[in-house]
Amino acid sequence: MKTKKSPWPRVALYLFVFVMCVVILYPYFVMFTTAAKSNDEMYATGGSLLPSVWQWSNFIDIWREAPVFKYLLNSIIVAGGATFLAIACGIPAAYALSRMRFKGKGIFMGAVIMSQMFSPVVLLVGIYRLMTAMHMTNSLIGLVLLNAAFNQAFAIWLLRGTFTSISSEMEQAAKIDGCGTVQALIRVLLPVSAPGIVTTLIFVFINSWNEYTIALTLISSDLLKPITVGINVFYGFNFIKWQYLFATSIFATIPVVILFLCIEKHLVAGLTSGGVKG
Amino acid sequence: MKENAKPRTLNMRRLEPYVWLLPSILLMGVMILVPIISVFQTSFSEISKSGVNRGFNGVTNYLWVFQNATFWNTLLNTVIWTIVVVGLSTILGIILGLVLNEKFHGRKIVRAIVVFPWATALIIQSVIWKYIINADYGALNALLYKLGIIKSYVNWTATPGQFFAWECFVGILVTIPFVTFCVLSGLQSIDTSLYEAADVDGASFWDRLFKVTLPLLMPSLTVSTVLNIIYVFNSFPIIWTISKGDPADKTHTLVTYLYKLSFTNQRVGEAAAVSVIGFLILAACASVYMVMTLRAEKEEE
Repeated sequence: MKTKKSPWPRVALYLFVFVMCVVILYPYFVMFTTAAKSNDEMYATGGSLLPSVWQWSNFIDIWREAPVFKYLLNSIIVAGGATFLAIACGIPAAYALSRMRFKGKGIFMGAVIMSQMFSPVVLLVGIYRLMTAMHMTNSLIGLVLLNAAFNQAFAIWLLRGTFTSISSEMEQAAKIDGCGTVQALIRVLLPVSAPGIVTTLIFVFINSWNEYTIALTLISSDLLKPITVGINVFYGFNFIKWQYLFATSIFATIPVVILFLCIEKHLVAGLTSGGVKG
Repeated sequence: MKENAKPRTLNMRRLEPYVWLLPSILLMGVMILVPIISVFQTSFSEISKSGVNRGFNGVTNYLWVFQNATFWNTLLNTVIWTIVVVGLSTILGIILGLVLNEKFHGRKIVRAIVVFPWATALIIQSVIWKYIINADYGALNALLYKLGIIKSYVNWTATPGQFFAWECFVGILVTIPFVTFCVLSGLQSIDTSLYEAADVDGASFWDRLFKVTLPLLMPSLTVSTVLNIIYVFNSFPIIWTISKGDPADKTHTLVTYLYKLSFTNQRVGEAAAVSVIGFLILAACASVYMVMTLRAEKEEE
């Protein structure tokens, strides 16, 4: 849109963007300012926009008030484990889909796409029964397996797209030099596919880090909760410690927003070619 | 390779792709397919309050659900929720995507800002908004009061309808980024010479928008819309955090309703029936999506 026939559409559009940014940033502004308010100011009537006294000690107190460190550690274990498992299962599947011809390929692809329809929450009744049978309610391993499975479709789709975009000539040359298929995959294809693999890694990590519903349902002991469920400790029945809740939320949010910003460009490229959504 | 080993190798060759797929099939089979089967089975079973399966009871659970007024209200809410959230976030996301595709000062910052709601956990967004709209000490009342827009504090969630409207608002806000980035991705593939040709023809701003840009964006928009329908339909944390389906179970969607049935009211069989009804509605959407994706794949090849 290079020509300037009338300036008004442009002005209106920029105004729109400005308003959107304000609305998007507003909750983050509230989160930061509220996290630094004192308990008295929290519930004072009249309200305040900024804390009258910036109570930075809230950011230290949370680590004593609740096992926040343990929650974050659990989130890292669940998200890290799920990412590793989803990629470890996704790479061979994506490789087969991009390099081999076989019966049932279309059916498998269809099943992968269909699996995106089933969010964990509609399956919770079944998931709970399965996990009870496997003695994995209240277990981080259970969360790892479930998160890996529900991110499998996306991982396969994005990895397959990456592999398909790379010519198989180099692998064939490596095979002539005496490499086996597995060696050719690890030594030749994977290094070249690094950007696509890293994007997939980070995206699966973020999805698992932000997962709430499965963990809420399955995990009952406090010390096994990931951070998304753990923040509920500040959320009593009639007395909510908002300042601690938000201070903790900041620690839970910053790492994933930074990671997301790193992959944003690559993700845009892969978006519409396959099903991608958190 | 030895001569006599050949038939066996051939056989292995044919099996090889399945070996590569095996880890993935096992993972999804156990963790997704088994729960699906279990939900269907449970929906036709009588489950006691303590979780004991008392066996097949036909369509009793379904009848209970259909005779329940809350279910029909929930179904209506789900339709409204899905259409409003997907519809408005798509329109706003398109506009935002179009503007972000232009070159202007601060574009990179705006792009980064738009990523925020997408990267943040839904539960955290929901909790913040629950705080913002609180009638007694919420941030929105404080803000509007200080700005002089309101004279006294407003109860933003006086009726179930208002509660639900806020939930839709939060849903729209967190869904916009995905649409925006799909639009940006689609715009990158549009040939700029088309715009030059439109200029030669003396096309206005609106002509370019409705006759060039939007038609060419349709493939990206279809993907984002179908995926959003699935994800918004299944979205749980916003409603569960802000209203828990209350007051009086008036603000449920199917997923919060089935969660409450199953894990608060211990009506597991009935909850499974609601799940199945949800699947059937979504299955229609997902099959449309699958057919379109596979067709797009074929065109690429």
